[in-house]
Amino acid sequence: MELRKYIGRRLVQVVIIFFVILTVLFLLFRLAPGDPVSRMVDPDMTPEDAHRLKVELGLDKPLGIQYLVYLKNFFTGHFGYSFHYGEPVVNIIWSRLPNTVLLFTTSIILSALVGIFLGKIASWHKGKKTDSILTIGALVTHTLFLPWLALIMIWLFSYKFGWFPITGMISEDVWLDPDSGFIAKSLDVMYHMVLPLSTLFLIHFGAYLLIMRSSMLETLKEDYILTARAKGLEEKVIRDHHAAPNAALPVVTSVGLSLAFSINGGALTETVFTWPGIGRELVFSVSQNDYPLAQASFLLIAAVVLVSNVVVDVLYAYLDPRIRY
Amino acid sequence: MKSIAAKGDLRDPMTVRERFPLLNSFLDGWSIFKQSLLGRIGLVLLILFALMAVCSYIPPLIDPMYNPMTGVDPAITCCTPPGMRHWLGTDFMGRDILSQLLAGARVAFMVGISAAVMSIVLGVAIGMTAGYMGRFIDTLLMRLADMIMVMPTLLVVLILAAVFGQLNIWTIVLIIALFRWPGVSRIIRGQTLSLKQRPFIEAAKVAGASHSRIIFQHIMPNVLPLAFLFMTFRVTSAIITEAALAFLGFGDPGTVSWGMMLQWVWKTGHMFKAPYWLLPPGICISLITLSFYMLGRAMDEVLDPRLRKEDQTD
Repeated sequence: MELRKYIGRRLVQVVIIFFVILTVLFLLFRLAPGDPVSRMVDPDMTPEDAHRLKVELGLDKPLGIQYLVYLKNFFTGHFGYSFHYGEPVVNIIWSRLPNTVLLFTTSIILSALVGIFLGKIASWHKGKKTDSILTIGALVTHTLFLPWLALIMIWLFSYKFGWFPITGMISEDVWLDPDSGFIAKSLDVMYHMVLPLSTLFLIHFGAYLLIMRSSMLETLKEDYILTARAKGLEEKVIRDHHAAPNAALPVVTSVGLSLAFSINGGALTETVFTWPGIGRELVFSVSQNDYPLAQASFLLIAAVVLVSNVVVDVLYAYLDPRIRY
Repeated sequence: MKSIAAKGDLRDPMTVRERFPLLNSFLDGWSIFKQSLLGRIGLVLLILFALMAVCSYIPPLIDPMYNPMTGVDPAITCCTPPGMRHWLGTDFMGRDILSQLLAGARVAFMVGISAAVMSIVLGVAIGMTAGYMGRFIDTLLMRLADMIMVMPTLLVVLILAAVFGQLNIWTIVLIIALFRWPGVSRIIRGQTLSLKQRPFIEAAKVAGASHSRIIFQHIMPNVLPLAFLFMTFRVTSAIITEAALAFLGFGDPGTVSWGMMLQWVWKTGHMFKAPYWLLPPGICISLITLSFYMLGRAMDEVLDPRLRKEDQTD
């Protein structure tokens, strides 16, 4: 019951924050030097089309009315047309969203699980060689510069060894072939996902490993671990069933806290591997001066970040019964 | 007066330590820091990078063709592998990669340290205000911090670049600082809240100390070491953000940063042909991040007694 109240309160907060972001973006757009019309209206349009779009976006009205039109357009899903694709922005970002979610959630879950597992092992062998290797390995991979790591991955595994495709998410011959079924298509996507996924994994698992290690060391000092030892339980049981589940909780929090960092990394990875996701679309649209698309991609990413934060907090409350809101 | 009498004994190290509590805690910290292997490695690496930054002024003096941005070797038109004339080779325009790498170190320090200092000053000021004032101001500032904290800085800078067009290096630094204070301010707020309850603050209040005296004389010295620790992490995040931005092609076109070098390799399609050009900037960014990170972890040990060696006996 309390948890439900807490979720409700957090969601109200998310809505307020999102409103603030919407408003700030609106104001920035109007306050920026230059003509806002030229930013929203494709320079290649005919004057009649341009005028129609201007009216639709309310760019010919006073600021207050413009803001209302902007909000109305937002809630009815009118983000304008992408200059580059010439399609409604909504269609573009909806088609990119699943690709981003696929790559992103897989990489986060994989790196958190491996990080937790290796962190447990490092803490168990504290001060020994295993621990040093794992800790230093985690530090080094975590601090690698992500775009550079991505380029090295492509250089090594796609160019030198030729094991994986250089870019993209699908091979056209597989997808255009009417005979290839769902399994063949999924395998094709997975094949393309190996390099971007490994890049994100290498960058992220180290952070989780280090957090798990130190949290595990703290947990092992707790009284209930002493009790478990006094009962004569096996060390393995103590480690895996008594210490690890509690020690893993801070990792969940850190997934939430590092979400912004991970999203940046996701956008960079998508760009280098030309993975057709939202992050790449944002980078691409900014470089093409495609403002409507840039704005919509940014808002979608902001919404995803805000909601995921709530999800992580709720997950934490669910996992740790000691937390009461 | 006692303080005047003590002046005569300045040569006695104990008295110096007693007279300067900050120096004293610094020396204590240093002796713990010295024991940390990670901290020593990090410090040595950082000194090397600082030397690189200082040396970046030398190559253009030797010959104008070594200027990282505009220097073009007249004998070369395309990128060439390392040789006697160009120790790390040249890029696609015949510019010397080594001098670019040295100039990149200067940009990295400039961006990292200025953004970190700004965000720490902002974070400490906001954190102390929130913690000390409490109530409405506290709630307002912390909700603002929550909001900014979840925003991915790189993408925020990108959308600002979409609105304002090309950003110069100082604007980028400023934006990074404006979006990177919340983490610090939360920690400082917590620290301020706990300090506020301590007897010595009560005593100062009873003695009639003003708010500003309590904040600057009693609270600030106690939260500064923590802020300093955060600075090392802020430096790395600023360097990475700038590098990533430059890599994506939205950096300041007038500066030669390591991110910019990677962008040139990537965009001109030389990454498969010229590993001698692809490797150095990436190694530098990764190593400077690593060294600040190691420094931060070693300082963490200094500041957090629970992490120190002595309780590693169990």
